[in-house]
Amino acid sequence: MIPVSVITGFLGAGKTTLLRQVLRDPRWADSAVIVNEYGEVPLDHDLIAASEDAFVSVSTGCLCCVVRSDLIETLLDLARRRAAGEVQPYARVLIETSGLADPAPILHALMTDERVAATHSLASVVTLADAVHGTSTLARHPEAQRQAMLADRILLTKSDLATDTAALQAALQALNPAAPQRAATHGAVEPEWLFTQGRLPDFLEASARHSAGVASIAITREAPIPALALTLWMQGLAEHAGARLLRLKGLVALAEAPEKPVVVHAIQHMVHPLEWLDGWPTADHRSRLVLIGEGIPRHLPARLLAAIEEEVLDSQPPDRG
Amino acid sequence: MTPPELRDLLADALALWAVPGRLRIAEGGVALEGMALRVYAADAADRPVRWWLERPGQRRPCTSVLGLLRALRNAVGAGEGEARRLRVALAGAPDNISLPGA
Repeated sequence: MIPVSVITGFLGAGKTTLLRQVLRDPRWADSAVIVNEYGEVPLDHDLIAASEDAFVSVSTGCLCCVVRSDLIETLLDLARRRAAGEVQPYARVLIETSGLADPAPILHALMTDERVAATHSLASVVTLADAVHGTSTLARHPEAQRQAMLADRILLTKSDLATDTAALQAALQALNPAAPQRAATHGAVEPEWLFTQGRLPDFLEASARHSAGVASIAITREAPIPALALTLWMQGLAEHAGARLLRLKGLVALAEAPEKPVVVHAIQHMVHPLEWLDGWPTADHRSRLVLIGEGIPRHLPARLLAAIEEEVLDSQPPDRG
Repeated sequence: MTPPELRDLLADALALWAVPGRLRIAEGGVALEGMALRVYAADAADRPVRWWLERPGQRRPCTSVLGLLRALRNAVGAGEGEARRLRVALAGAPDNISLPGA
């Protein structure tokens, strides 16, 4: 499987600078890059100046609006050329979205297209936030908020130009407490931190936060949760919260196998196949779930889970042992 | 689920659907004022029915709390809204998963 990382960030956040830095690193030069530019002149292509033949530019408009045609076809065409030896055998794909893009449709396309899923896997979503203008950008542009809410990692750019990033960090933390933040100057950051974290639990210490209609909601459960209850709960959230549920992450002890925690990861109503770990990463064996959504009552997820769990447990036949 | 717990859950659901309404505990269940709706738990003898959604001249059985929420949503006119069906992504796990501290 070819890992695919999506790089988002509002206009001017420094996505192109970051990519240029990453591709200069010999360990990451074997990356294919897909750039979505919102304009007729593909400036970013020239700015990145990748040396790899695999570099591809998409400049037909906002990627989230034409994603199924352009992004999917570009990925598949790239993979065909890779298989045919027409481009160097790149190790990963980095997708830079336009600054105005909503990442959700892009992620859905990556997760649901059968042809893409056969050869690619979504590795991470990285969101860049401008340390100088980020606070006002978040306040004025819903697109920027959604980019932050959907991130696995948040990179603060231009931090050398900002006198104080505390307000921005707090705003980002409120939008997405599950995403670790790190500061970078001129794109200087370890690519491993950005692109190889997979989907595992950086969010374990996340707590509930709220800001202007956006809420991150944390649920901690001592007792293992029946698999059926977990599934029904996610279905209920998808059904009733719809597009307002942006992300769901969790490390859950299932009643059927509590010693092997399961990683839950969803983007809106799209759930990654569950992944079981061989064991708990820490001594804390509680189930922990973090939701990020817009306009979701803060107690609803926990109350719904408790109600469903009660029904599921009540439906189980008595233990005959 | 006790009547207060049911009330709190339904109040959250109404808020999620942006449906104004006041809920109160009534007759062993929960009543939605102004809409003549009442929700209450079914007797054990009624299984598999777990919940009843009652309105004048009509009583609808629900076999789960999710079914109850769906029925209530229709009853209050919130419709499908942004309803989505849960989908499982086709993409496999990335090759480079790493555990913290591993």
